[in-house]
Amino acid sequence: MGMTAAEKILARASGVKAARAGEILHPMVDFAMIHDGVVMGAKQELDALGIDRVFDPRRVMMVTDHDVVYLNDRAVARGAFNRKAAQAWGITHFYDAGKGGHGHIFPMERGIVLPGTFYFDNDRHCTNAGGIGALGIRVGAEISRVLATGSTWLLVPKTVQLAIKGRLKPGVYARDLGFQIGKRLRPGGEFGVDIDYRVLEFAGELDQFSLAARVSLCSTPTEMRAIGVFFPPSPEIVAYAKERATRPFEPVYPDADAAYDARIEMDVSALEPQVALPGGPHKAADLSSVAGTRVDHAFIGSCGSGMFEDLQIAASILKGRRVAPGVRLLITPGTEDSTHRIRREGLLEIFQEAGAFVLPASCGPCASGRMGLLHSGEVSIATAVANGAGRFGAKDADIYLGSPATVAASAIEGKITDPRSYLAH
Amino acid sequence: MDDFQWKLRGRCYKLGHDVPHAGGVIPNSFITGRFFDPKDLVPNLFAETDPGFHQRAKPGDIIVAGRNFGMGPKMNGYIAMQALGLGLVCESMPFLAYRACIGVGLRTMTDCPSVTELCDTGDELEVDFSTGLFVNRTRNLTREYPPLPETLLELVRLGGNAGWLKNWWEGRHQKAASGS
Repeated sequence: MGMTAAEKILARASGVKAARAGEILHPMVDFAMIHDGVVMGAKQELDALGIDRVFDPRRVMMVTDHDVVYLNDRAVARGAFNRKAAQAWGITHFYDAGKGGHGHIFPMERGIVLPGTFYFDNDRHCTNAGGIGALGIRVGAEISRVLATGSTWLLVPKTVQLAIKGRLKPGVYARDLGFQIGKRLRPGGEFGVDIDYRVLEFAGELDQFSLAARVSLCSTPTEMRAIGVFFPPSPEIVAYAKERATRPFEPVYPDADAAYDARIEMDVSALEPQVALPGGPHKAADLSSVAGTRVDHAFIGSCGSGMFEDLQIAASILKGRRVAPGVRLLITPGTEDSTHRIRREGLLEIFQEAGAFVLPASCGPCASGRMGLLHSGEVSIATAVANGAGRFGAKDADIYLGSPATVAASAIEGKITDPRSYLAH
Repeated sequence: MDDFQWKLRGRCYKLGHDVPHAGGVIPNSFITGRFFDPKDLVPNLFAETDPGFHQRAKPGDIIVAGRNFGMGPKMNGYIAMQALGLGLVCESMPFLAYRACIGVGLRTMTDCPSVTELCDTGDELEVDFSTGLFVNRTRNLTREYPPLPETLLELVRLGGNAGWLKNWWEGRHQKAASGS
């Protein structure tokens, strides 16, 4: 019996020949990742126990993405604490505010997260690593044990294989598909599977999906409680990783006779542009059903749509056009490298001429209400990962989710708009 | 021998299906406010659904919940349960909620189908979390459920993540001191 991709990665990290879903292992990380908001809790917990060091200062990534502009005194204090913690631990991969950007994106661009990489992270959207063929597993507050020892216990997850059939139509994007997948994965959904603590492994016609598209597709299943998402890396993606790799790596592919919890398939060829209705990213609906809904606020960014290609898609629609009066369009590049690149390649000018404004590389407004928020009764169309009540501040504001193209077109029109009319020109 | 109290004996406190962690177990403000001290959390366990619960609860009491208990991966409410000396048995829970329970050292059993049909609040229960034996003394019935996995027993015995780390760190120092 063969192994799924996740089983193979976990077997390698655990130093065993084979890993099987349902067994408990103690895999050793290639590195541990911790985000700005939880460093203080972890450091204080370890300090209280007298543990004054991390397992390997060169294999701990400290990233600053949830709050990079310090909008209150607590955030300022946390930033100062994190800098001291990085120094005390001797962390070599410390990415302070304004360095690096989103921890679920820049490590792929910088050749740190590579095909086959395994790591633990405190934050659940580390599932993004599956876009490049790696496995990041969320352990929440237990990241303290990983920082101290490089490992913790892990129940090897079951894997659900999703085979994609057909090709997306022009103007329909990975995020559109992601919302539909979320809808079908939810309890009682059309796929009829339980995705809680499963890895969703993609198969089928995947050559249509770039790295950015694959990363986008990792987002909504995670909100449905998948513990991981995995794409077998294409030759293009392996070449991309090789160009920037900071260490040797070995791409991982599932065995043909791997044991899956379920195998499902989806024909994507008839899919129309989607939105997620306010309440959750799985509340997918044809965009046409809400076209014309007035918007006050539009946001492009987050770990679900924050790669350079997402910004390119938005720029292609915004070029030579203006954001509608009364609409504020916020664009948050995922990474510092992308921020430089939009300047070098002229996208920044397109955004500024359109009347959008660019926030620093980070989670942006998606980090549970820290910047660019909504007032009571306002309506947003956004590429955020989630849209529950209060995600962007006011609990009675409505947040619709869409692709970067949909958000850009909607910002121009001041109402939810099918982006295809802009792509034709 | 393992002298940890794997078997709890106490009263049943029964909950229904789909009880979320935020609100259903502990008010959301204690989760978003990052409260982790049992002193803050204990008085607020089930505060929105059963104020004063903590005063009536006794060590050994067992919370029995239905399907999909504890939605959300946070641990604040389980810290309070553990501090009160309670145990948790449920029909099912999201895996990360289970992980959060283990991480704070709460004696927990999940995947116990129909267990809420076998007891009512106030029944005298006896549950051995290391063997999976569930006994309702009031109804005079016994069931066997999946126990805590053997690999996790040490973690729970040590009081969860923090206790495990303390033990690990002290063990390293002892080794260093003895020159081995």
